[in-house]
Amino acid sequence: MAILEITDVSAGYGAGPDILQGLSLEVEEAQSYCIIGPNGAGKSTLLKVIAGLLHPRSGDVVFRGESLAHRRPDQVLATGVCFVPQDQALFPEMSVRENLIMGAYLLKDRALIKERLARVYEMFPILAERAGQDAGKMSGGQQQMLAMGRALMIDPILLMLDEPTLGLAPQIAQQIFSQVEQLKSMGLTVVIIEQNAQRGLELADWGVVLDLGIVRFEGPSEGILGDPRVRELYLGKAAGSGEKK
Amino acid sequence: MTNVIQVAILGLLLGGVYALMAAGLTLAFGVMRIVNLAHAAFIIASAYISFFAFDKLGIDPLLSVVFVMPIMFFFGIAVYQALFRRIEGSAKFGEMTVLLTFGIAIMVEGLLGFVFTGIYRKAQPGYANESFIVDGLFLPEGDILFIPKGQFFASLLSIVLLVGLWAFLRYSQTGYAIRATTQNRAAAEIVGVNVRRVSAISFGLSTALAGASGALMSYLFPFFPFRHWQWVAVLLALVVLGGMGSMKGAVIGALVLGVASSFVVDQIGPTWGPMTFYLALFLILLIRPQGLFGKEVPV
Repeated sequence: MAILEITDVSAGYGAGPDILQGLSLEVEEAQSYCIIGPNGAGKSTLLKVIAGLLHPRSGDVVFRGESLAHRRPDQVLATGVCFVPQDQALFPEMSVRENLIMGAYLLKDRALIKERLARVYEMFPILAERAGQDAGKMSGGQQQMLAMGRALMIDPILLMLDEPTLGLAPQIAQQIFSQVEQLKSMGLTVVIIEQNAQRGLELADWGVVLDLGIVRFEGPSEGILGDPRVRELYLGKAAGSGEKK
Repeated sequence: MTNVIQVAILGLLLGGVYALMAAGLTLAFGVMRIVNLAHAAFIIASAYISFFAFDKLGIDPLLSVVFVMPIMFFFGIAVYQALFRRIEGSAKFGEMTVLLTFGIAIMVEGLLGFVFTGIYRKAQPGYANESFIVDGLFLPEGDILFIPKGQFFASLLSIVLLVGLWAFLRYSQTGYAIRATTQNRAAAEIVGVNVRRVSAISFGLSTALAGASGALMSYLFPFFPFRHWQWVAVLLALVVLGGMGSMKGAVIGALVLGVASSFVVDQIGPTWGPMTFYLALFLILLIRPQGLFGKEVPV
């Protein structure tokens, strides 16, 4: 069953042209999606539109029957849709613990916040070790874990990650992928934009290829990975060769 | 030596009041990037409320904080909603706030001048002209220190309000939201903070602090409508020294410059007192433009 339906969405920044040009997409519950595509395809813009950070010029975004198209980010978050942007967007002068508490900003129940905090610490033990440290003084990988941990504080239904491994060393990136695997196994619906398209598609159930603001191809990840057109155009590999060009 | 201690005490007492004045200005800049040139005009307007509450109703200026702060809080929220919300999405928001607050300052000045005329005012509660006298302790025999009661109470109240503000920002949910918005507005939106609401509350808090500062000004310094230009220059020097948007910086900047100006007045003369602030502003912009606790912004 689709929990998120994006229908004919056009969106852009300020008075600029449409980045998304009538894009439509459905996201099924408890499935994971990897969005790939060239620079400027509209991948990050799509996630911003879903998160309420950018309002569509036309079309609709419906989450569990409710339109999110013209809601504020806090209203979208309250429905269970959580976004972790490319730059992690942390509060650098707040401690790790305070950053996590900010993730539960919409919650009023202190006992619940404490419980969620314990759960995040369990998932990311490094965050418990660094609880009192300023977020701005952590390494890139730790900051990414903090951003993911903070997103989990609200216990989202749909988690959107924009290039979570960008700029990270391969070993650290692998740790992040393992965490995403864990989130998938918990039954969370995950939408991820990943610069390492091959790895991202291996991780996800469903692959979506965006180009010039529309969905060019979509389907089960194995199918997308094996599609010679996608391999040729978006994975940087010659069809059938499996080798980089 | 006693004289040095005396001058330092006077400087610190004055610095405490300056810190309260600067805290509101730096809060508005930190959260909303508003360079509020009308902050001192709001302080003067509040000083009139306290002055007349004392003059007509006999309400002590220190007690008037109880109603001046809420009045100014709601006034600030109204100003924010009516004027700043309209330009919020603008790419030139920072520059526009300078022009907008410049216009507000002129309007407030004009209104105050029209209603209250340009004559000097100063409330005269009994303690304003009294001092605590300290002798003995570590002082050489026969030496005494004067601690003006008016400045002492004003500084004490400033400390209470600043500690209250710190605790509010540190421990309340709205305080968390204000700090988060100050550090990363986009991230605050992502975690569900309604940044427009937080901005309005922060501006209200900023003007409420101007209200408290005005209550203190009503009996500490003679004032008239045009005076706000002199004050805004002083306040800008304090927050630039500390680092625009840094509360800690504003307080430390205020204490440092309070003491420095006190020594300049003592050693060179009262005319040179205000020059301390401008000289500090000039030097800090030359040496460390981001201020003592500010962050360098990449160009």
